[in-house]
Amino acid sequence: MSASVSPTGTEQANYAHLAALHRRYAELPATDPERQRVREQLISGYLPMAEHLARRFAGRGESLEDLIQVATIGLINAVDRFEPDRGANFFSFAIPTITGELRRYFRDHGWSTKVPRRLKDLHLEIRNSQTQLSQQLGRAPRPSEIADQLEISMSEVIEGLQAGEAYRSSSLDEMLGEQATMALGEFVGDFDDELAIIEDREALRPLLAQLPPRDRTILALRFFRQLTQTQIAEQVGISQMHVSRVLSQTLAFLRERMDTDD
Amino acid sequence: MVGAAGGVGQTGVTEVYTAASAVAIPTIRTVAADLAARADFDLDSIADLRMAVDDTCTRLVRVAARDATLSCCFAVRFERIEVIAEVDVKEIMDPLPRGSFSWWVLRCLADEVTALVLPGKTGQGGRVCIILVKRALTAGLL
Repeated sequence: MSASVSPTGTEQANYAHLAALHRRYAELPATDPERQRVREQLISGYLPMAEHLARRFAGRGESLEDLIQVATIGLINAVDRFEPDRGANFFSFAIPTITGELRRYFRDHGWSTKVPRRLKDLHLEIRNSQTQLSQQLGRAPRPSEIADQLEISMSEVIEGLQAGEAYRSSSLDEMLGEQATMALGEFVGDFDDELAIIEDREALRPLLAQLPPRDRTILALRFFRQLTQTQIAEQVGISQMHVSRVLSQTLAFLRERMDTDD
Repeated sequence: MVGAAGGVGQTGVTEVYTAASAVAIPTIRTVAADLAARADFDLDSIADLRMAVDDTCTRLVRVAARDATLSCCFAVRFERIEVIAEVDVKEIMDPLPRGSFSWWVLRCLADEVTALVLPGKTGQGGRVCIILVKRALTAGLL
């Protein structure tokens, strides 16, 4: 992943003024108050890069705010540990440090039960592959297609997918990207008309009103617009697995409330 | 459970019998998802089948007679899975009234949905059955 997130030439230029600060930061004695100022300058200067990296990890069930915070911690570590005398570029040091921090966060915080690290890593790989293949194929991939791409066995894919069931959904604090929220706005209005096909809609309507707007929209996209989970995932900016969880929870909620009248 | 289907491309029949109780449903839907994954269904179809089976079993458990057995038969065919779920009921009723939200949801999740009501010989009670067909690839409307 680090190769694809390297800043382009023009973006590098925006950070050019920071390059000289690394040496100054390394040279100033720890007691010098100037050192703290330089450190803050470096951190705030590179913050857009950390945010950019955090966004690459968004849409996997963790809030963007949290991800930016985690990426910032990675950035601070990178600034503190970077040794300019070694001649390396700061980006080639900072990007793996920050993405490493983000990956660790997913591994340690995203799981509700004890899942071996090997399976967590496998699950993340499968999710990445799923996103890529969905775009290439224009539909959700089959397990065999994921196995081919990752060069692992079909049973490993199935194992990794099952591990995903233990992945904690943090839908409450999950933040959508601004773009995704904009795209969603268009669908909410149409929802009411499409209920006409449902005979027990009068029982359904007040329950739908109780749903969080995003969950209601996901429900509408799946059952009234008839989009696939993969298409919804793309529009809403979350993973297909997350769409699946939202739909299951929403259906269970509606079923429970609707059926009490039977 | 008997005759579980094997690897990719293999067909076969898997039957699951449980008490008609909500407690059994997570097991049944996991079996459905696992069979679909092993039959190389795309990930949307696997998720849809899991939800469809969850919904179907929930409906049947709700109408089941006391101490009834819920029977789910999964037949893995070429590029599709057929699910036949059935349960004894004390009073004959349509488990999936046309036009109901549940009926609509199931129609969206599965490629074919059929509900059958089989009256018992004594005139009281009988058996209700929901049959689903789910194909391996889900095409969305866009």
